Amino acid sequence: MNDIKSYATVQKWIANVDRYYHLSEDEWQGRLRILEDFCRAVDQDPDAMIAEALNDRAEKIDYMRRLRSFAKEQSASRHAAHDLENVVRSFFIHNGARVVTRPYAEG
Amino acid sequence: MDFLQVVGLRRSIRIFRSWQQVEREKIQRILEVVRHTTCPGNIQPWRAVVVERDKLSRQDREALLAMDNYQAAHVQAPVWIYWFADVDGSGAETFRQRVHELVDIGALPTFYGWTHEAIDAAIVRGEAAPEGMAAVQTLIHNLPREMAAMVARQETVGACAVATLAAVNEGVGTCLHMASTAEKVPALRALLKVPEGWDPIWVQLVGYPAEEMEAGGQRPRLPFETTYFEGTYGRPFPRDPKVVEDLKKEGLIREPMPKPGRFEELKHLARAFGFPL
Repeated sequence: MNDIKSYATVQKWIANVDRYYHLSEDEWQGRLRILEDFCRAVDQDPDAMIAEALNDRAEKIDYMRRLRSFAKEQSASRHAAHDLENVVRSFFIHNGARVVTRPYAEG
Repeated sequence: MDFLQVVGLRRSIRIFRSWQQVEREKIQRILEVVRHTTCPGNIQPWRAVVVERDKLSRQDREALLAMDNYQAAHVQAPVWIYWFADVDGSGAETFRQRVHELVDIGALPTFYGWTHEAIDAAIVRGEAAPEGMAAVQTLIHNLPREMAAMVARQETVGACAVATLAAVNEGVGTCLHMASTAEKVPALRALLKVPEGWDPIWVQLVGYPAEEMEAGGQRPRLPFETTYFEGTYGRPFPRDPKVVEDLKKEGLIREPMPKPGRFEELKHLARAFGFPL
C-alpha cells in the first residue's frame, strides 16, 4: 500500500471533514493510522475498498462486519471499539458509501 | 412566550436529549393549542396518536423507527406525535354539519346569506349559494373523496405547523418527520390501531434539545422581494427596513446559520453521542 494520504478517497475524506470540523493534525494522524491498520487487516487499499463498497452492497456489509471484529480486537472497551469503528464509518460516509450509524449503546 | 419569539426561535431540532422525558402536561398543551387551529368550515380533520418511545415494546419501537428509516432524531426523541388527516371525516356531510354549527353560534353571519337552508341547498342539492357567502356548491357539493382527502391533508399540515410553534412555546424541541414510507402506511395504521380513513401526515418528534435551542441559527430564507408581491406578480412588496429592525429587536429575525461555533457544537455532540465525524 502507498502512503495513505496519496489515495483519492482519503484526500476526499480529509477535505470533506475539514470543510466543517477542522480536526487537528494529531487527530488526523490517529484517524489515518486506524484507517491504514484496517486496510492492512482486510488487505485492501482505501480506493479499492470504496470502489468495492459502492459497487456491491454485500461487499460493503462485509467490510462493516470485518470492521466490527477489527475494532473489537484493537480496543480495550466497547466504547473505544465504537469510536474506532466510527473513524472508518466516517471514511465510508464521506466517500458516498451509506453505512449504518448508531450512537453509543445505552447501559 | 411572545408570539414573535416563538416563531423566531422555531427550528427543526435534530439532536435530542434522549434520556430526558417530556412532561405530559407539555404534550397536552401542544395538543390543546392545535385544537384551536384555523381550518375551512371548521371541519378539524387532524387527529393525533401520542406515542412515548420508552413505553413501546421493543418490537413496536423498532417497527415505527424502521418506517422512518431509523432517522437519528427519531431514535433520540422521547415523544412521537403521529398526526393523521381524517379523510372520511372531511366529506360534504361533515362540512354541512359544522357549517350549520357555525351559523348557530354566530360565527357565520346570516346577513351574509349563511342560513341552514342556503347551506343545505348548496351542499346537498348543488344550488348556487347567494352572493355574500362562499360558493360552497362548487366546493362541497358532490365532493369527491380525493378532494376531501386533499382538504383533510392540507389542513392537517397547517395544524402541524401550529403544533411545532406550540412545542417551542413550551420550551421543548421539535421536528416533523415523515411518519412512514408509502408502502408501510397500512402497517403504521395497524400498529397504532387507527382507522383506514386516517392518512398519516407527519410524525412530530418532541424532546429537549441536546443542541442549543437556536440549533445553529435561523435557516436561510428566500428573499422577501422574490417571495411576496403587491397587486400582481413581478412587483415586489416593498420591505420597509424599519419594520425589519423592529422585528430583529422583537426576536423574530435572529442571527442566521451558521452561528459562530455551530460546527464546534456539532463536533462535540457527535463525540458525546458516539456518531461518526
